[in-house]
This record gives sequence, structure tokens and C-alpha cells, in this order.
Amino acid sequence: MGLGLLVPAFLVGLSALLVPIVLHLRHRDKDRPQKFPSLMFLEQLPIRTAERRRITDWPLLLLRALALALLVLAFARPVFSRQAVAERANRVRAVVVMLDRSMSMGHKDVWQTAVDSARKVIMSLGPSDKVALVLFDDEADIVQPFTIEKSAALGALAKAKPSPRGTRYAAALRAARQLVLRAGNAKSEVVIVTDLQRSGVSGVAGLDLPEGLSVRTISVHSKSSANTAVASVDVRRLVEPTKTMLSVQARVLSRELPQSRIAHATLMINGRIAGVRDVTVPASGDVPVAFDPVLLPAGRVRGAVMIDNDALTADDTLHFAFTADDALRVLLVAPDDATADETLFFERALGVSRAPLMRIDRVRRGQLDTRILENASLVLLWDTPPPSGAAGNALTQFVQRGGGLVVAAGRRYPARVAASTLMPASVNGSTDRVTDRGGSLGDVRLDHPLYAAFRDAPAALSAARFLRYPRFEPAVGTEVIARFDDGLPATLERREGTGRIVLLGMPLDTRSGDFPLQSAYLPFLQKLVLYSSGRDVTTLWRATGQSWLLPGGLKDAAVSTPDGAIIRPAADTVGSTVALRESGVYSLYEGRVQGEPAGLLAVNAPTNESDLTPVDARELLLGVRQSAAAANASNDIPTPEEIEARQRMWRILLAAVAVLLLAETIFANRGWRGTASRLSIAPSERSPS
Amino acid sequence: MPAAPASFLDPALLARISDLALLARTVVDGFMHGQHRSMRKGSSMDFAQHRSYQPGDDLRRIDWRVFGRTDRYYVKEYEADTNASVIFALDSSASMDFGSGALTKYDYGRFLIACLAWLSQHQGDRVGLATFVGDLVDVVPASTRHLQLLLHTLGRSRATGVGNLTTAIDKLTHLTARAGIAVLVTDCYESPEALGKAVASLRMRGHDVIVFHLIDSAERDFPFTAATTFEDSESGTRLPLRPDDLRVKYKALVEAHHAALTTKLIGAGADYIRVATDKPLDVALHAYLDRRLARSRVR
Repeated sequence: MGLGLLVPAFLVGLSALLVPIVLHLRHRDKDRPQKFPSLMFLEQLPIRTAERRRITDWPLLLLRALALALLVLAFARPVFSRQAVAERANRVRAVVVMLDRSMSMGHKDVWQTAVDSARKVIMSLGPSDKVALVLFDDEADIVQPFTIEKSAALGALAKAKPSPRGTRYAAALRAARQLVLRAGNAKSEVVIVTDLQRSGVSGVAGLDLPEGLSVRTISVHSKSSANTAVASVDVRRLVEPTKTMLSVQARVLSRELPQSRIAHATLMINGRIAGVRDVTVPASGDVPVAFDPVLLPAGRVRGAVMIDNDALTADDTLHFAFTADDALRVLLVAPDDATADETLFFERALGVSRAPLMRIDRVRRGQLDTRILENASLVLLWDTPPPSGAAGNALTQFVQRGGGLVVAAGRRYPARVAASTLMPASVNGSTDRVTDRGGSLGDVRLDHPLYAAFRDAPAALSAARFLRYPRFEPAVGTEVIARFDDGLPATLERREGTGRIVLLGMPLDTRSGDFPLQSAYLPFLQKLVLYSSGRDVTTLWRATGQSWLLPGGLKDAAVSTPDGAIIRPAADTVGSTVALRESGVYSLYEGRVQGEPAGLLAVNAPTNESDLTPVDARELLLGVRQSAAAANASNDIPTPEEIEARQRMWRILLAAVAVLLLAETIFANRGWRGTASRLSIAPSERSPS
Repeated sequence: MPAAPASFLDPALLARISDLALLARTVVDGFMHGQHRSMRKGSSMDFAQHRSYQPGDDLRRIDWRVFGRTDRYYVKEYEADTNASVIFALDSSASMDFGSGALTKYDYGRFLIACLAWLSQHQGDRVGLATFVGDLVDVVPASTRHLQLLLHTLGRSRATGVGNLTTAIDKLTHLTARAGIAVLVTDCYESPEALGKAVASLRMRGHDVIVFHLIDSAERDFPFTAATTFEDSESGTRLPLRPDDLRVKYKALVEAHHAALTTKLIGAGADYIRVATDKPLDVALHAYLDRRLARSRVR
């Protein structure tokens, strides 16, 4: 039962139960004897003393004894255990209605069915039941906390609409968990109204839900999962002698169509139709759609590829945005005594790049200033330390605003290194590996973006030999990405502001090794430039649910969302971030929202959201654990309401005592002994005179 | 004999009438309505006077000789049923002050005596009253002019004290030297043998004795159910009882008591009439008149 007593000493008072019994035996009816004309006959009847002494009014005696016992119990302050309170509170239900509002819910009439199902669940609750409404896609919004007002939940439900975002059941269940833990001891139930999209299941496994929480799913997915979507877009610049053309190729994906069909695809560039194609979409599979090249507009380009609307229209359009001029300008700072052939391999390796174009400008170390750095994406210091003075300050500001800095240490470096705040490591001489035919890269972090391209061919990296390299000692906050086979750091990275500083211990020329002669040299350098300059994260679009870290250096940044709203994000230590909630093109402005935007970012729903394949409800909750620890997570410190709920018993007992005493009064004076009273006639009232 | 309208005799209705004279007149008039009044008067052979014939008079009592001389109808009246002394004795012990219905036994007894006295007065009898407990309390000597005094005395009397029926009857025996009719109204809480002897001594004095034994339905049926302490109205003795267990035995004792009273009193030459106080008064009045007629004596 889980019942305890706060003051058990009061139970001694139960001995007072003897009082009504003794009174009952000794003093019963003494107050109101029944008048009778004569006991002449009654006294002749044999009446045993024991019989006269026995308890005659059992109901009355029990009433009095029960009232006394309850009174004693009330003073003993009974208290329910947490479990008992929970069991008692189980009569009240706390239902969390979770409505999937992801993009896939817009398929056919799935959304209306889902809203109707959620409304039915809410309406079926009792008057004392609590309900909360959570709308979820890739994140969960508690639009209505627990309330007993069904109309409030229905009102919030009426305002809900599908979003262009993905599905993530784990986020929804976590939100439900938090709600349930705050629901007290009511019997909790989570009702998930969803299309059970398989792509949203990831992350559910291992989730810890409170023990006893009932999770129920209401599947509203359409019988047909047929869907066609624009899955991806690729743009290529076709450089011709006099102009640059833009070639756009899209990929249209179809799933579970009853049969192949012809889709009408349209390419929009800067709001105008730039191409049209009719493609035959297979029943299941994808088909490329290549549009005719069009003249590449200048500046920032926004585009979209659209196909005929089907049952799910939200994924029939894919937005993209890019900058027409994507040339990546690299400032090569070489020592004055460097020969032209020393950087030959390096310059040729970058020069062959077409996407993006990489343009190398050689500058002297002392020429670095704000003007030269303005249009640069990357500064590469060839076997020379960072400059000091004004050039050093300009370089520091360049990096902090997001520019890239690569320091390629060569044979001269140990002798010329100077103290600089930009250096991620100090140099302690150099290592000569001539005697053992050169060293190689030993420990390389292939999960790092810089080396990720070699994940499938790590031997290409280890093939390079390095005869002499500096001995770096990493500074605090510096990350070692790769090491030589003797354990010395080979590649180091440090973030400065929003920019990246990469320090290479590997010689990039042929004087101290054969790295330029290896197959890994060219992809490594191109990746090095892209990564260090930050260009590697530049994509044609991003998925909803992600965030946009605005480039530094903007004053009073303002972002125009696809639905026309203006966001002026506040900057923090990392920078200004905008959450991408809608599909379309976000425009970044500096100051006033007008004119040419400072940046464009296309946002689309996650491509896996177009896969409408449902998952079995049991499979959805297969990895979910339910533990008592989770149930008690928020109950370690009982709330005042819970304490009151546990000790509320004494009030009930006192009320019961009052009722019993009232019943005893009625029973004793009217209902029970009134039979005899009605037979008594007051003589004085009957007198004729 | 047709019954009187019950509305005039119902105890519940009578309980609302505080004036005993009015009550008695109402009851008797209602009771006598439609009866042959001439049957109640002039049954002796002693001529008294002539009077004019009135509708309702018995045609057999017309003096045809006078009609022959005068061509008018006259009836002859005789000195009939007159001058009998009727002494009413009312038990005023506390046991009489009990009633489970509209009336206590004492009230019923007073109503009964008032009606009988009224009736007797109009029969030409002398009426007297004696209330008693252990001894005589109030005494109204028998007289043709004491009806109002009798009613007044009845009205102010109260039932209280411990009764002693045999002693009271002995005192009643010495109350008058002239033989008459003694009407005893009591609840008979006395030994039948002792009561029989007392009544027998009264009969020895030449009195005709009519005993009205008043009994309440609760006394007879003992309907109590709850375990209760019973208190004797006269002695105050208390007795905790469970009535359900004792009812059968109690009723058997009461019936045996009644049977013994019947045997002893009739054996003593008295008329014993047991009257339940929840019954209309006409039962007692009929019984009285029947006895009175049967025992009427002409002086």
C-alpha cells in the first residue's frame, strides 16, 4: 500500500476505543428510558444479566468506534509513499499529443487525417485529464504545455501546419520525456500522430523514457508512398574565351510510382525560366536532367529546378544559390631568396583547378596590407614566418575575419622563425632523415576534412618521403592533424577568429622530399587551399534545420528569409547565426535590406524527407528503454504539491470523522431509537384541559 | 342496533375537544341519534303524567281512552329508571398516563366517564365520581345535580402516583350506604384474585359493578423493537430489555392476565368490559347501556 505515519505515537489514542464500548455497556439508554405503565409482567420474565450486558446497538457502537479510530489515525498523519500517490493519481491521465509536421506530412491528405486524429485524441480525454500538444519535425515545439483546457489544445492544433523540414522522432520523444517528467504523478501517455517515416527513426535507439510511460502511435501515412522529387542540382561553369556559360544538371528521384511517367522540369535562374526539359521518370529510381547551358549571370546567382507537382509538392522544387565569380585568390608569400622553380609544383597544382578557379598572386612579405588582403581567400607563407608590424596586424585581422593562412615550413624555416601570435607552434630545430632514406607520414587523422579524401587510399600519403623537416612543439589550443613516422607533428591547425591557420611541417618542394612527385600532392594541395580558405563548406544549398554562420566583418547584418521576414541576428563569440527553418533562398545584407545582397544561401528540405517509406510502429520504439530512474529523474526532490498529495489523507480522515459523527447523531436520536420515542406520549400535551 | 357515526366517537377527534360537557353531549347525541328514545324511558308501570304526542313517540304509548274523550293524542309517561345512583370510579394512578396513540388511557377514561355520566343524567340517574390512586383523591357524591361538578372534577384531575386498586375499591365500598351502580374505570394492574375479592365485597354491598378495563395497544402488543430501558410509570423501576426476545412471553402473560380478570370479575358478579383505547367510544357506551338496560330497576 505504501502508507506510513508521520506521528505514529498518536496511535496510543486507539486505546480510547474502550470508552464507547464501556459507555455502551454501562450507560446505554440511560438518558431516555421508555416509560411503560407497569413492569408487572416484564419483571416476571426471565432476563439473564449477561444478556442485559451484551452489546445491543452494534451499528451505533461501530460508528462511534470507527469515528474515534479515524480521528486517532488523522492525528497520526498518514502519508502515502511516492508509489502509492502515483497509483492513486493514475486515475488522472496526462496525455502528450505529438503531431508530426514534417514535410512528408504534406503528402496527399495525410495532414488533414493527422489533425483529425489528434483532435479525436484530445476530445476523448476526460474532464480531469491533462493534455499537452507538441509539434515536431527535426525538432520539437511544445505549443501547448499540460492543461486540462481541451479548447486550448484544440486551438493550438488548429494553428499547426506542415513545415519544410525533416523528421526526427528522437527529438520528439525527448520533448515528450521532459513534459512527462513535469506532469507529476498522473498516468502519462504519449500519442504520436505521424506518417512513421523511416528516415526519422535514427537516434531513437538508446533513448531513455520513464518507466510506465505508454507510447502509442497513430499512423496516418498514405497507402501509396509514390513520390517524385528533385534530389540534387549540380552547376558547372563552362569557361569560353569570351564568356562563361552555366551548365545545370539536376537529378530527379522517384519512388514507388505505379509506372514511369514524363516529368516536366523547369530551370529558374534569378527568377526567370532558363531552361525546360521533359524527362521520363522511372517507377523507382533517378534520372538526370541536363539543361542547356545558359550565360552565367554576374554576381550572386539564385536558381531553382522544378518539376510537375505531385502528391507531395514541397520536394518538387530544389533551390540553389552560388556566386558567379568563384575564383579563389591565393596570395603566395615566398622568401626573397626563393627561386622560381622552388614553388613550381605548388603553382601548377593550384593552377589546374577549375572548380573553383584558383588564382595565385605572388607578393612580398612586407607588402601584405589590408588592401592586398581584401580580395584574397588564402595567404600561403612559403618557408617564411608570419610578418610582424603592420603587415602582421593586417594578416591577423584577415584571418580573424575568416581568411585562411597556410604556413609551409621548409629548410629555411627553423632559422628564420620569429615570434608571432599567429603561429600555432614553436620550432625547435629540424630533423634530418637523409640517413634513413627520409621519413613519412605515420599517424594521419583521416577523419579530418583535410585528409578525408585519402580515407580510401592512405598509402598515397605514406608513399611520400621527407628528408628534412622542422621540429614543431604545438602551442596550447593547436590541433595536430598528422604526424611523421617519428612522432613529430606534420600538420597542425588552429582557429583564429573565424579563420583557420594550418602549419605544414611537410616540405612542399623537391629539395627536401619527393612529395610533389607523389599522386597525393595535387589533391592534397587543392584540399588544403579549399579547407584553409573555408571554401570547402560552400555548397549550393543547405538543409532546413541547419544554421547559417554569417561571415565575419559585417556590420549590422540582416537576413531576409524566404517568406520575407527580416532577421537581425545578434553576434556572439562565434559569430552571428541564423537558424534555417524555411525552404527557399535566404539573403544576407549589411545594414539596410536593399540592393545587392552580401550573400545568398539556398535552403531545401532534407532529401531523405522525400522517402515516404513507413516504418513499423514497433520498430520505431524498438531501441527505446524505459527505466524507473528516468521516471524518478525529476522526482528526487518532491514538489510542495507532491508533499501535500502524500499527506492529504489526514484531511480526508477528518472529513470522514465529521460525517460519521453526524451519522451517529442521526442514527442515535432519530433513525434508530426513534422507534421507541414515537411510542411515548407526553402526558401534559394530551391533557384535555 | 345501528352504529353511531364514527366521527363523533373517534378517540383522535375527541382528543381535540377540551370541554368535557361539550364532548359528552356530542358523543351521546351522536350515539343516540336514530335510536328509539322511548325504549330508554318509561319502561315501568308507575304512571307519572300525560303529555302531547310528539312525532317519534311510540304509537303504542298513546292513551286511546283520552283520545276517545278529547280527540287529541296524548301519551302516558311513567316514573321509569329514575333515582339510581351511579358512582364512577376512575383509576388516577400514573400507569393510566400512558398512550401510544392519540389518547392516554386516562384521557380515554375521562371521556368515557363524561359520556356515561351525561347519558346517565339524562336517564334520570344520580351521578357521582371518585378518583383514586392508593386512596380516594376526589369524590363527587351522587346527585342529579352534580353532573357539572363531576365534569369539572374530571377535567382538573391528573394521573399520578402509585395506585392500589383493591384499597381504593374498599374505600369506595364505604363511600355510600345506598346501593347503586359502581362503574370502575381502570387499567387493572392488580392481581386478578385480589381485584375479584374487592369487587365481590362491593357486590356484597348491593352495588352493580361494571369494570371498564382500559388497555393501550402498546401494552397489549408490545411493539417495541430496539433494546431499551423500560421504566415503570408508577414506581420508576428501570429494566433494560430486548423487546424482540420477550414479546411472545409478554403477550402470553397479558392474555393470561386478561383471562384471569374475566374469570374472577365475572365470577364476582361484575360486568367486565375490556376496552382498547384506540377503539371508538361507542363500543363502551353500547356495552354500558346493554348492562344498564338489563339491570335497570324501577323504584
